[in-house]
Amino acid sequence: MAESAATGQSDLAVRGKRVRGLERAIATAAILFVLILPWLLPNPFYVHIVIMMAIFVALGGAWNIIGGYGGQLSLGHAAFFGTGAYVSTLLVNAYNISPWITLWIGGVAALLLSLPIGVICFRLQGPYFTIATIGLAEALRLLVLHYREITNGAQGLTVPFKGNAPLLLQFDSKMPYYYIAVVLAAAVLLITRRMERSRLGHYLVAIGQNQDAAEAVGINSAKAKGQALALSAFLTGVAGVYYAQYTYVIHPDGAFGLGMSIQIALVAIVGGVGTILGPALGAIIMELFVQSTQILFAGQYPGLELMVYGGLLVTVILWRPRGVLPWFESWYRRLVGRAERVSGGTP
Amino acid sequence: MSEILLDVQGLSKHFGGLQAVLDLSFQVRTGEILGVIGPNGSGKTTTFNLITGFYRPDRGHVRFAGQDTTGLRPYDVCARGLVRTFQVAKPFPAISVLRNAMMGTLLRHADPLVAEAKARDVLTLVGLEARAHMEAGSLTTIDQRRLEVARALGTEPRLLLLDETMAGLTLTEVSEAMRLIASLRERGLTVVVVEHVMRAVMNLSDRIVVLNQGTKIAEGKPAEIAANPEVIRAYLGAEYQRA
Repeated sequence: MAESAATGQSDLAVRGKRVRGLERAIATAAILFVLILPWLLPNPFYVHIVIMMAIFVALGGAWNIIGGYGGQLSLGHAAFFGTGAYVSTLLVNAYNISPWITLWIGGVAALLLSLPIGVICFRLQGPYFTIATIGLAEALRLLVLHYREITNGAQGLTVPFKGNAPLLLQFDSKMPYYYIAVVLAAAVLLITRRMERSRLGHYLVAIGQNQDAAEAVGINSAKAKGQALALSAFLTGVAGVYYAQYTYVIHPDGAFGLGMSIQIALVAIVGGVGTILGPALGAIIMELFVQSTQILFAGQYPGLELMVYGGLLVTVILWRPRGVLPWFESWYRRLVGRAERVSGGTP
Repeated sequence: MSEILLDVQGLSKHFGGLQAVLDLSFQVRTGEILGVIGPNGSGKTTTFNLITGFYRPDRGHVRFAGQDTTGLRPYDVCARGLVRTFQVAKPFPAISVLRNAMMGTLLRHADPLVAEAKARDVLTLVGLEARAHMEAGSLTTIDQRRLEVARALGTEPRLLLLDETMAGLTLTEVSEAMRLIASLRERGLTVVVVEHVMRAVMNLSDRIVVLNQGTKIAEGKPAEIAANPEVIRAYLGAEYQRA
């Protein structure tokens, strides 16, 4: 009995090793593909699309930490995105600070902004957090519109173009922007993975399943959610800085608008909340959707994008409430399973 | 006489017109097992909720290990070494039994690997190690209650409050649970048990507190309680006197 159990285990181990080898090969292929992708694309417009995808992987991944893992629906992440973008661009313009430095400052500014929201909202249960995030983004949008001597009001801010200046995070080719965006997206996903495996990650799962039971065994749910929000806000702020740096132009309606908040949330929701790779998949799908509606209708119908978001959101929530990632996972498992059977036949 | 670990003074709580607990005072000494008995609705669970911070008392004080813990949040109370289980087990249903237990051990061990090893220890202690990889929601009610105890033990408490852990157990299982509680005491833990299973309370407890309609009607050694006419009238029933 004990012997057969032992051999069963070693069988499992061998099979596990084979699957891990295959997984490593697939991961390596995926990484190589991402690295050579911009060189395969016919023109810079397509490179622009994949850069936007990468930035939205980072944004959706950042949102996912509080919205997915933390289970707290934010519909105001534009507040953190816009704060990063504005703080950075204002500093770059006023003091000539390198965006490589304001990248961090913008992130920290967004983090600081998130702290009072966490402290106030996470003592309560209910929709307060969602409402507060919407209110925060809207308040910031109005503030930026109002203080136009500093923020240039509705016209927004531009990053002065200095030519090819890597130290100022400016390039005359899209390629460097692409690779930096990929690093940013990868960093967010790796941080998510690390968070998922940390004490905080475990605690968020416990809180999501039964908050009373979690508190009974010493889990401070308000603190854990606050930490997740702070991390999420920081990463969103950093991505906001990079977005501003890449697009050169930011304005209040774009940076703090509800449309941006919804797009950030949708990336994670469409892909699969509370998973590491969900936002990556969601960003690719969303960006394809957004770009194709823009190409097809070319701005003929103002507000069409928002209708598309709305339609997409309803579709996902009705038919795929866990996002599309589980689909891909089952497809992937079938693939791995087949490979396993094939290699199992020829030892 | 050993030191007083938990000191409850003049605790009161009402819900609307219902006085759930009224002017309740009792002490728990380090190393003892205190039984709390009383009919349904006599305020036993409310008392647990008041002590562990799930409810805020209208009046009265709770001191634990020499410090005032009245009004602290449940996680603060737990961090100080006072943990409770729920009468209706509250597992984290969609994750494994092992990970459930880890939610307790992570309190003192931030490293998930260490917490996992400690979680295996507490699962072994309650006899759940074979089910470590099952989803907690698919456990039987009785195993869920075992898990509840394991998770609480994982927080490495000084005082454990058990809320009807033995309800619905078979005779053998009651004996097992009694052995477990006795062994916990030998490890230096102080235990308060709310229980309807008289055989267990009478055998395990060093002292017993009897509640009726939110107030304490008796306190003493099991033999004294069993002979107390008021307790018999309110709770034990006439047949217990003959037994």
